[in-house]
Amino acid sequence: MARHHDSPSLDDLPDEVLQHILDFVPAEDALRKTSLISKRLHILSSQQLLWRNHCEYDFTYWDARHGMPDKLDADIGEVDWKALYKYRRKIEQDVGDVLDSILKSQTGRIEKYKNISVHGYDAKDALLRHCSADEDQEDALARRYYATSVLDHIHRAEALSTWDRLKRGENIFLEEALGAFDLFVLHDQKGDLNEVSQALHDIASKLLDEYPAMKDGSLTTRQKALTVVQFLRAHNLVGCEDPASYRDLRNNYIGIALQHPDHASLPLISVAIYVAIAQRFEIDARVCGVPSHVHAVVIGSKEETLDGRPVMKKEDAEEAMFLDPFRSDQEVPVEVLHRFLASWSIPARDFDVHLRRTNTPGLVVRTSRNILASIQEFRAQPVIANYTDQFTMPLHSNTNPFAEIENAYYSALWCNFIFGRPDPHPNEHDQRQIVPLILEKYERLYPMDCHLLEKYICPLYPDVNDVGHLDLQETLRVVRAADSTPKQRRPRDSQASRESVRYKVGQVFRHRRYAYMAVIIGWDVECGMNPHWIASNGVDNLSRGRNQSFYHVLVEDTSIRYVAEENIEILETDEVDSLKSLAGRYFKRWDKEKKVFVSNICDEYPDH
Amino acid sequence: MSEGPAQTIVLQSNDNVAITVERKVAERSMLIKNMLEDLAGSELDSAIPIPNVNESVLKKVIEWCEHHKNDPQTAADDDSDSRKKTTDIEEWDQKFMQVDQEMLFEIILASNYLDIKPLLDVGCKTVANMIKGKSPEEIRKTFNITNDFTPEEEEQIRRENEWAEDR
Repeated sequence: MARHHDSPSLDDLPDEVLQHILDFVPAEDALRKTSLISKRLHILSSQQLLWRNHCEYDFTYWDARHGMPDKLDADIGEVDWKALYKYRRKIEQDVGDVLDSILKSQTGRIEKYKNISVHGYDAKDALLRHCSADEDQEDALARRYYATSVLDHIHRAEALSTWDRLKRGENIFLEEALGAFDLFVLHDQKGDLNEVSQALHDIASKLLDEYPAMKDGSLTTRQKALTVVQFLRAHNLVGCEDPASYRDLRNNYIGIALQHPDHASLPLISVAIYVAIAQRFEIDARVCGVPSHVHAVVIGSKEETLDGRPVMKKEDAEEAMFLDPFRSDQEVPVEVLHRFLASWSIPARDFDVHLRRTNTPGLVVRTSRNILASIQEFRAQPVIANYTDQFTMPLHSNTNPFAEIENAYYSALWCNFIFGRPDPHPNEHDQRQIVPLILEKYERLYPMDCHLLEKYICPLYPDVNDVGHLDLQETLRVVRAADSTPKQRRPRDSQASRESVRYKVGQVFRHRRYAYMAVIIGWDVECGMNPHWIASNGVDNLSRGRNQSFYHVLVEDTSIRYVAEENIEILETDEVDSLKSLAGRYFKRWDKEKKVFVSNICDEYPDH
Repeated sequence: MSEGPAQTIVLQSNDNVAITVERKVAERSMLIKNMLEDLAGSELDSAIPIPNVNESVLKKVIEWCEHHKNDPQTAADDDSDSRKKTTDIEEWDQKFMQVDQEMLFEIILASNYLDIKPLLDVGCKTVANMIKGKSPEEIRKTFNITNDFTPEEEEQIRRENEWAEDR
């Protein structure tokens, strides 16, 4: 093709302008199109700066192994940004392919989860896109459910790795160790560990804007420490205004506290936020883990007192001041804390250990206990007829509170397993006591976590003749076998299955006696349970007894139950939100016209 | 400064046409703004020559500056907005950019020379949007570019830029 010299050509624009145009061209087009136009455009489309920008702005999350912060600081020539970009796009495509395959078949999902999770945080951007699959998409609910589920699994792996490194003595920031709890309930929301650091960084910047003196050397340590607490309290970033919501589960999460508009948090989290901000201003702030109500302590240097005078006497070195950011912007006199420790029968010689040292593992375990206390309070609430009335403990929006309770409970179990009893003596026996509890949750809710169990729990049972070892291996084997065995096909090929099973997979109903809402995920022509179950559940007292059809159902509280047909009252309703986030496990989408969930388990129930 | 800044100034295109324009409007150009700041205090009695831009293009650029004279100024070192790579263009600017290709390139060159970053962005986004969805051959045709690759070279680039098979 001959070039027409009179008419204007893109070639007439200088390199800098063409580069600027390429900045706005999507990366795929730069790889597949603009680089094929001409030699000049090929060179311009291959500039590492362009690909650095694509890497930085097309992807948010990078696996730690890339050392991304260092790469971004390095000279542009030191990193092959284009290769890195292509690598990430390849992962994106792989994640999509594996996810499609997870959606297609109920078999072999554990291995498929692993094929995604090996990419670690490199898979997160791709998964997030699937997490927000459009409602109109043919498999929207299933796609969202499994993308979220894989992401949850990756988050848990990150959380356990953080705690494990802390336990091994690595230097882990307190906000990361506490943020690990957030990872269990984060899903596709903001509040990942790097976002917790970013939020703290932003608060510190705002504080500096408001009080430039924080960095100009004119304030004493005491004045700086008080400025931080006054700033945090003035902006309502610490504490919990409504005493009635004190035990709300979400007050345990540093990531949620930093992002939620009311920033409510428990004392421990408030102090962690205070300490993290104070440390950003070169204040030696620590968490002072007195029993029952955590405080913050600020320690002066060896050379200078908190009030900026040179240290003359030995006892003035490293003096301490105490704060309670949760409820006060003033100092707490040390005598108050001494009296408090004495009331817990702590001998005076041990006061300093309690008052001056941040014990990060201890604080993590303490948070897990606070989480368990919140869960207990929630479970102690009376069961109300309508389950949706109980949805009083939202963590992030659009999540099922019962599923969140399970996730929070699971995090507390793992935390106690990893740290055992941290003070005063770690004890393997305590760790072992928790294993059966983790296994129970693993079997029912987290089968994809098998390699986390293998990594962290199996080493505790090296002896092959140990009963614990055998139990553990058997549980792992059973779960894997169930996952790799194709489901038995249950067609409606008999008169009984066509006529006496009245309801279909995907129909929503209310239980006539227990009032919960649920969706049918399977059926039997007659009760398929063993005589013991039949007796203990009083099946023969039902008006139609054991010889009526029975249904496997998914309940809005995340449980799976087995229900006689006579107890089913089919609902034709659009109010199925409490089921939607759970239903993706078995269903493709919600059919608005027919008011049923569309089955994704046709390999098992081909005729619904 | 003894007196307030002049309300209008005169720009002179490279085909010697003098155009009077409100100072605030002209100051959308960082080049002109800096020039006026350097001249602060001294008499500004002659027209400012704009040697790279002809009358029709200069008028078009002034039309854009007129419309955007009250936009907040972005700091000179802040290029984060363009790096975010959104190719959205506001409606008025879209209409404004409905010109023939020659004028489009001229506006881009003029905004680059005059250092009017938001206008340069709009121009570049317009071209980027014209690239989207076209094959390399269509792009060549649209923008009048000669293919200087041998078929072998083209094939090699195609291969090295793949990250997965097409589907």
